[in-house]
Amino acid sequence: MSFTRKAVACAVSLGLVAGAGFALAQSGGKTISTVVKITGETWFNRMEEGVKAFGVETPGVTTTQYGPPKADAALQGKIIEDLIAKKVDAITVVPMDPSALEGVLKRAMDRGIKVVTHEADNAKNTQVDIEAFDNKEFGARFNERLAKCMGESGKWTSFVGSLGSLTHVQWADGGAENAKKYPGMTLVDAKNESFNDANKAYEKAKELLRKHPDIKGFQGGSAIDVLGIGRALEEAGLQGKICVIGLGLPRDSGKFLESGAIQGIGFWDPKDAGLVMNKVAKLLLDGKEITEGMDLGVPGYNKVSVKKGPGKGIIVVGQAWIDVDKNNYKDYPF
Amino acid sequence: MSTQSPQKELAANSFAARLFADRQLNFLLLTNVAVLAAATLLAGADFIGLYNLQSMAAQVPELGLLALGVMLAMISGNGGIDLSGIALANLSGMVAGLLTALVVSPDEAPLAYTLMFLGIAIGVGLIGGMLNGVLIAWAGLTPILATLGTQLLFTGAAVVLTNGSALRLGYIEPLDDFGNATMLGVPLCFALFLAIAGLITVVLRFTPFGVHLYLLGTNAKAARYAGIASQRVIFLTYTVCGILASVAGAIIAARTSSVKWDYGSSYVMIAILIVVAAGVRPEGGYGRLICVVLSATALQLLSSMFNFLDVSNFFRDCAWGLMLLIFLAVSRFDARAWWQAQFPAKFPAK
Repeated sequence: MSFTRKAVACAVSLGLVAGAGFALAQSGGKTISTVVKITGETWFNRMEEGVKAFGVETPGVTTTQYGPPKADAALQGKIIEDLIAKKVDAITVVPMDPSALEGVLKRAMDRGIKVVTHEADNAKNTQVDIEAFDNKEFGARFNERLAKCMGESGKWTSFVGSLGSLTHVQWADGGAENAKKYPGMTLVDAKNESFNDANKAYEKAKELLRKHPDIKGFQGGSAIDVLGIGRALEEAGLQGKICVIGLGLPRDSGKFLESGAIQGIGFWDPKDAGLVMNKVAKLLLDGKEITEGMDLGVPGYNKVSVKKGPGKGIIVVGQAWIDVDKNNYKDYPF
Repeated sequence: MSTQSPQKELAANSFAARLFADRQLNFLLLTNVAVLAAATLLAGADFIGLYNLQSMAAQVPELGLLALGVMLAMISGNGGIDLSGIALANLSGMVAGLLTALVVSPDEAPLAYTLMFLGIAIGVGLIGGMLNGVLIAWAGLTPILATLGTQLLFTGAAVVLTNGSALRLGYIEPLDDFGNATMLGVPLCFALFLAIAGLITVVLRFTPFGVHLYLLGTNAKAARYAGIASQRVIFLTYTVCGILASVAGAIIAARTSSVKWDYGSSYVMIAILIVVAAGVRPEGGYGRLICVVLSATALQLLSSMFNFLDVSNFFRDCAWGLMLLIFLAVSRFDARAWWQAQFPAKFPAK
């Protein structure tokens, strides 16, 4: 059985290698686990800062963030399965695809685990879903800034990641509705699809510039739309002459904000979203209710509105948008 | 089977020795035990609590069934592989969900709905598998290219059916039970997985098809001259792969109460990883089903352990890679011969 001995040694050492060095002591308090779409992406790294900060500043609560190495709803579901078996007290999750998690989140709630979701206003099996803002209002806000920049007149167009991305379409529609306030503004070729690809957005923007040489404004949808549009404007030497406003991340958009190819971006801070998800989970654990107009103590969530969700839970909506331009993008390191 | 390990004759007399003659099997068994022990030690008793054991068992079948399909394809030789598994699984669930809802109302006749759902799903798997079989056996396409093509075809079809959004099935009790309920403490879907694994073991061992499959994978030319209907064997193999994928699809639908085209997009690679770690020979002709089952459970144990210990999922990928390399090393490295060479005194010449 010499081989067996060797194999035992091998296997045991593998197990030890795997387990070594990891803190396993869980303090006696409550554990809140946050599950995100993917590990190691800027957006969710920033969210983790919020998740960790809540754990540090709240006594008796341990917070941890988990996420699959690939953006796959199946892997996300498996992580939640394990967390249920681990008997955590609350799970907060940013679902890849809310419908794929309905089963597992139901099992979590059946076992008395509190469930909070973010960006999943169609999820049925959740107690509280948190939305950073009302999507129509967010789109209207982009458009309001665009209108100011364009002097309230001229041709403008909107971009979406894809027509299937519900939130992007809502932003574009919200923008179009807002523009009706200004008779001088004309919407042309609305809702161009960039397929979340900066190159496609670039090609599309060049095409639009040829078709409408007098276009004055672009409203971006997906976070990379403004990058593609910005590049097209820079190449045409039109930076500063045409207005570009849309969803964007400060680090990526910085150089275009500096050059004037993009006038402004807007987003919500994932750190605050991480904080507020954990805060709400803690409130649920303490048996408290979230009510209309409540102050959750996180910027942008000081006066939340509450409405009924598609299931038994509620949807909590904040006003957590952040408007950023050339002057303040450096304040947000992500 | 024609693929006995060389040390088998050494131990031919003792049943116990024969039982431990397969290095890969031993190692996989030990890894399972060691990871379970390490996890219990590090993560506490909850890890071997009934709930977690059930939860882990219920997570195995989705991937396990796909891995069984890949294993069969690999054994058939000629670069056999099935990349279309998860795509076909999703398509099966999608078609079944859409068609069944047209005929039966899930609220009025939940049991009829569930049975019809399963039936249609398996039907789609059968057709998809046969398509792969025809392409590879009769059109003569390389398996990796044929199944890559059908993977795109199945995925595309599933996208078109719902315009890319998820299809919600809602809570249908019998279907939900199929994915989540337990019988005598064993999750139903895991029991089904074991039953299917058992059935395939019997087929591989005791039917002409099984023998032909291994022979074909070992040496396709010799098999043809020996009069084996190789095209039929290959066709059947990929058809079975398709059926396995559709069962996985039904389990996914039952467990998530929904179907989507991109669910489990990482499964293709993980299924191959499980199969290779189980010592199935990528060139064909050899592979033990019990090893594939143990390899799947080892992967699940390891992954659950990391989630219990709050370890980054990136490290999990790294650990899987390490495990794969060690498994491969163990299967290639003859420890007994090495030991014998080091300490000849302990092994008196016969």
